[in-house]
Amino acid sequence: MRARRLVAFVAVLCVALSASIARAQSLLVPMDDAQRNHLKAYGLAFEAIKASQRAEWFLNYRGGSFLLPDAATLRRKAALDGVSVEPVTDAAVASIRAELAGGNMDAVVLERAPRIAIYRPVDQPPWDDAVTLALTYAGIDFESVWDDEVLQGDLSKYDWVHLHHEDFTGQFNKLYLAYRDAPWFIAQRQRDEATARKFNLPHVPALKKAVADGIRTFVEKGGFLFAMCGATESLDLGMAAFNVDMTGPFSDGTPVDPDADARMDWSRSFAFTGAHIESSPYVNALSDIDGHQVNVPARRQPLGSFSLFDFSAKLDPVAAMLVQNHRAVLPDFFGVTTSFNKAVLKPGVTVLASEEGAPWVKYIHGDYGQGSWTFLGGHDPEDAQHAIGSAPTDLSLHPNSPGYRLILNNVLFPAAKKKPRKT
Amino acid sequence: MVAALLALLTLTIGTAAPLRAQDPSPADAISEALAHEDARRWPAAAAAYRRILARVLTSGDEGDLIALSLLGLERVWHESAQRDSMLPVVEEVLRARPSDPVARTIQFRALSIASRDDDLARAFADWRRASPGEAAPWREYVRTLMGMGRPLAADSALAQARVALGRHPDLAGESAQIAATLERWHDAAGAWRDAIAVQPWMETAASFSLQRATAPSRDSVRTVLLAPPVVLGARRLLATLETTWGDPRRGWAALSALSVDDSTRAAWTEFGDRAEVMNAWAVARDVWEALYAHGGDATIGVRAAQAAFNAGDATAALALVERAGKGMSDEERARRVLPVAVRALGELGRAEEAARRVEEAGRHLDVDARADLARPLVGAWLRAGNVERARETAERAGALDDDATIGWLALYEGNLVEARRRLVRATARDAALTDALAVLARTRADTNRGLGDAFLTLARRDTAGAERRFAALADSLADAAPVLLATAARLAARSGEPVRAMRYWERIATQHASAAEAPEALLEWARALAKAGDTAAAAARYESLLIDHPGSAMVPQARRELERLRGRVPGTD
Repeated sequence: MRARRLVAFVAVLCVALSASIARAQSLLVPMDDAQRNHLKAYGLAFEAIKASQRAEWFLNYRGGSFLLPDAATLRRKAALDGVSVEPVTDAAVASIRAELAGGNMDAVVLERAPRIAIYRPVDQPPWDDAVTLALTYAGIDFESVWDDEVLQGDLSKYDWVHLHHEDFTGQFNKLYLAYRDAPWFIAQRQRDEATARKFNLPHVPALKKAVADGIRTFVEKGGFLFAMCGATESLDLGMAAFNVDMTGPFSDGTPVDPDADARMDWSRSFAFTGAHIESSPYVNALSDIDGHQVNVPARRQPLGSFSLFDFSAKLDPVAAMLVQNHRAVLPDFFGVTTSFNKAVLKPGVTVLASEEGAPWVKYIHGDYGQGSWTFLGGHDPEDAQHAIGSAPTDLSLHPNSPGYRLILNNVLFPAAKKKPRKT
Repeated sequence: MVAALLALLTLTIGTAAPLRAQDPSPADAISEALAHEDARRWPAAAAAYRRILARVLTSGDEGDLIALSLLGLERVWHESAQRDSMLPVVEEVLRARPSDPVARTIQFRALSIASRDDDLARAFADWRRASPGEAAPWREYVRTLMGMGRPLAADSALAQARVALGRHPDLAGESAQIAATLERWHDAAGAWRDAIAVQPWMETAASFSLQRATAPSRDSVRTVLLAPPVVLGARRLLATLETTWGDPRRGWAALSALSVDDSTRAAWTEFGDRAEVMNAWAVARDVWEALYAHGGDATIGVRAAQAAFNAGDATAALALVERAGKGMSDEERARRVLPVAVRALGELGRAEEAARRVEEAGRHLDVDARADLARPLVGAWLRAGNVERARETAERAGALDDDATIGWLALYEGNLVEARRRLVRATARDAALTDALAVLARTRADTNRGLGDAFLTLARRDTAGAERRFAALADSLADAAPVLLATAARLAARSGEPVRAMRYWERIATQHASAAEAPEALLEWARALAKAGDTAAAAARYESLLIDHPGSAMVPQARRELERLRGRVPGTD
């Protein structure tokens, strides 16, 4: 009888052991050099939280790894997307947690898939948007919004809004200098003028400033904003110039206010203060916020590389989330606005990345009202000199792009369970 | 260094008048300074150069001594971090020689290094006053501004120069460089065209400058360089740019319009050589053919034929080599024309004629030449479907120790053991050999006449017939069925029969799911389905490949195509 019980016990033990070997309790998604596709890994994490599965982000652990449940759907998606996953047992997870507790690392629970909107026109201009490319490639859901939606207050439906290339001062990025006869430019101008008329606004600068103010209100009420390239600089200028004429006659029919610099209300802006407005219509720059001035040949500064700062995962988890990466030094890339001069940064802005020895920074973050914003200079991390009309970047050729990881960090950051910042 | 400079000095100042009776000669004085410099004795070298300058300026003697001393001082003080010391010395020289170009250039350099922009502008004004109507002050000032990273200021200075001097040819190079720096490609191309018209040696600089033009700007450059009148410099520049931009065909289009003279022939020859290096054989053929038509010798004609053959145009190769051979002696024809002609005839399946020609030239061919011709001749017989004559030719030419030739013959005869043994040792690897080895590695059969027939049919360029034979063999040669079906599928696709190809791939994926060819079959099947518009079925095949064959080399490609199918990455089709 005892022998039979022993046999039964051993049999049960064997079954249990074989079951645990066949299926671990969790999947660790490493984000260091062991990962074959870093960008798709974010899509896998997003898929998990979208399906209301528990997901955690291990900050500073193996490049900012994710811990997901060992679900068949996730395993299949990982296999299809080429994402490296490591099945781990509860004991192994406990060991990892002990390691997290002992160093500059932490675990952040990803609660809920953020509702994402990308501000972009319906008729696609002859340039692309790194965030649209990244989200599409990673398989992260998003919706598109444009001026009508912003002015109608629809941004409140979303947790996260992204801006890329729009000129919120209403000067069409001064592209009329070179492209005023291009069909896409004419169409863009006509579209914006029609929208301004629809909302009883006198001209395009007034329209874009109203949109900028709508975005400011979205952040003030708790939204997350991520902006890249020219949208960073022009959004702050558009907000600060809400009551100032900073645009030339080509866009609003009146000359620039000669006291525009002095009359800017920088209390309305997110990141910058005291910038000088570039009032010449023949100089393709909006202000002196950008350190590189790529479209002004005589002022253009060469590209270098920028370094991500280290933050305390336990004390400063937000900043730490935004810089999770498997590379600390990244090659720089141009954009309509490539970088941000330190001299015009507001006090209190958190610098996330900068170029050593340069008077500019690359990647900044801050709070505004109940929400927060993040600005990343440059257009496309994998195409350092992306020009109008260039083919969009094929991210399947850059699955380990550290630059694109910065964008995707921002996408997942609103999903994190809120922890009060301790510094 | 000292020895070399001394030699130069002997030539340049050896004939100058002695400074004073008790002083060393100019050559000795300069050599003493150079010796100090070479020994890195900077203070002694500087003192020596200063002494020479003082003597020359006092005595009123002029010439190269001033330039040599100033340049020497500039080097020495640069090395000893005393650049500031240069300015007072230069100013002393300029008081005596206000238009001295070397002193002025050094003054500009010193002021720009010290970032003394206002003084630089004043120095420029002084030089202009001292040398009215000359281009040198403008040119040096513009160069200095460019060196300071101020292209817009340089551009403004050039605009003033145009007002003061008109369009001066000595400033064309600077105009071009500034326009290129400011990315005004149309202007840059025009300025470079003007510059190389008077200073042809600047063509290389022009090419480096303009090759940076972005793809959308290149049409502007083309328009300028193609504009009438048709001149060699501009056309040669454009041809160089086009080859750099990856389009040698357009390069040849630019050059071919030139009227023919010795310079044009030289430009064409250089371009033909470059086209060959780029493996642009069709372009090379056209270049050599044009040269041959305009008085080129037989060597050029044979090069044209060889280029045509390499471009896959056996008919043209034969015609060209025949033309080139006219007027040659029989011996010369055998040596130069026959190799190309036999290869071309072989490609065209005219084995009898190829063999006859080799026979006729027999007395002019040594053993090595015969051996070289054996393989194309064997190939010619095989393409004609005559294995016996092919083997006979190989035997007569002593090619029985050639593994590739004998291996292929064995395969065509169905002797798989011999084929396997010889082909694996063949040195020249190509796609056909790889296919044959793949099939041979998958079957244990020792003989199979049907397999030989299938490969022979392929050698005769009967793709459709070969496809049928390979597919039929899949039933009888079961161990090699997947690879035979894959071969049939590839041949069907090559013949423009995608539906038949898809059936073969489907058969491999469903009936031989664990075979090595299964991932390729799934990939090709998915592609065919996607092309037919059935994206859901295509996605399922891609997913099957990714899930069931995760270790396959096809996985990255399948994943990429699946991404494109789902619109996750930009399409390029």
